[in-house]
Amino acid sequence: MKILDFHAHLDDRWLHKPIPDASHMIAAMDRFGVGQTCVYTMMGFYADTPRNNDLLLERCRRYPDRLIPFVTVDPKEGPAAVDELERCLEFPEFRGIKFHPWLQAFASSMLEETMTAILKVAARTDTPVLLHDGTPPYSTTFQVADLARWVPGAKVFLGHAGSADYVDPAARLIRDIPNLYGCYCGSRPGDLAHLVETAGADKITFGSDFDPGSWELLAERLDNTIEAGLSPEDLEAVLWRNAERILRPSGS
Amino acid sequence: MIDAHAMLGDETYLRLDAADLLRRMDAAGVDLAVARPMGAGMIVDHRAGNDLVLKAGPRIRGLASVNPWWGAKALDELARCRDLGAVGLFLDPARQGFFPTEPVATPVFERAAEYGWPVLMKTGAYIYADILALAEVARAFPRTTFIAGFGGYADMWFELPMAIRSAPNLLLDASMIWGAGIREIVDRHGPERVLFGSAEPRNRYKVVLKTIDRLELDEAARRAILHDNAARVFKIEGGRP
Repeated sequence: MKILDFHAHLDDRWLHKPIPDASHMIAAMDRFGVGQTCVYTMMGFYADTPRNNDLLLERCRRYPDRLIPFVTVDPKEGPAAVDELERCLEFPEFRGIKFHPWLQAFASSMLEETMTAILKVAARTDTPVLLHDGTPPYSTTFQVADLARWVPGAKVFLGHAGSADYVDPAARLIRDIPNLYGCYCGSRPGDLAHLVETAGADKITFGSDFDPGSWELLAERLDNTIEAGLSPEDLEAVLWRNAERILRPSGS
Repeated sequence: MIDAHAMLGDETYLRLDAADLLRRMDAAGVDLAVARPMGAGMIVDHRAGNDLVLKAGPRIRGLASVNPWWGAKALDELARCRDLGAVGLFLDPARQGFFPTEPVATPVFERAAEYGWPVLMKTGAYIYADILALAEVARAFPRTTFIAGFGGYADMWFELPMAIRSAPNLLLDASMIWGAGIREIVDRHGPERVLFGSAEPRNRYKVVLKTIDRLELDEAARRAILHDNAARVFKIEGGRP
């Protein structure tokens, strides 16, 4: 079955630990039948986001049919963050926006004006916005879900669909907020079954969180998905159909 | 194989009874499971929850759970569970509402120590379930074995290696943590610090066993994780009832 991984990371290091280059990511994708992977920065969460956006784009251009970069900006920069987002979205390769409020050290409510402006750009350009969720105090599932209410035209993703401890709230929030989606990324088969049953298979996408140095994580996350006991139609929706529908249209 | 962490009962979207657990064990080739209650049976209705795991048949051994806030009643329930054959204590500080380090919990740990029971405690979300709080308790009760249930899954994973290092009597329940996290504990602290667990019905035997297979452990390490450590910690002879 076709697979589109909606949540992975591509960078040359995480903190002090070097990460192998993108060829290792492609090899892992080939090994497990993953056709395309959405990739986000790692070091860009900490500093110098414009440079990291450029580096990510450059790395993805080596594999244009396989890797889909998501842009990250630092909303603490105010209007400059919106400008950086607009700059990156000029490149058709960027088909999503990624935030990691926990690592980026902001609560969206602290930056309402900037985050609203960013979400409006996302809505205007039909670009999904994925945020890490499941971790207090900046990335609780409720905090991320609230963003979807701010700009109903934006497509907002819980980046881990509740992660370890917020799975049930995530399922109910995704069900109740029309423009809120969940990336099933790290949760377990019993969690996925609940997410799909409660929120509907058309609002959940598969994500692995792997990077080029951790192929085992991709294998484990696929195991979690396969073992959830979904119907073939729901599995297809989660593994690729939803992601393909929701990503910013290619070439826009 | 001995599964060191299965769950019986009904909690939010998870439910599992003994018959279904046995079917899953048979399909996976698991000989014996150590189960604890979940949901109301773990949080408030201890007698019902504990009976569920303690009367589940010879291939399922039970961990007793009590809310420490019940005080003397909690200790009475532990005594009843000991007589019914409980092999350890399970606590979920986030669901049961206490800091592992606060005095209300101390008598429960003392009772576990008196009975020679290991203590499996769910760790994960911050605040009450902080894995470092469990490490504090493990250092305070050095002769009791403590098991970090779920291994700090998900976002306390980075504290796991140092927590394990800080307390020689602290072990990892590998039911929810990813392979790289398990490997790090095996490499740094030895396979004797890791227990195979399923977290059924949240996780699946197949997922956890494939994760352990990918570690490509030598036979002794694999046997320790899949069987010997649990047999030692829970004082279970063999692996078959």
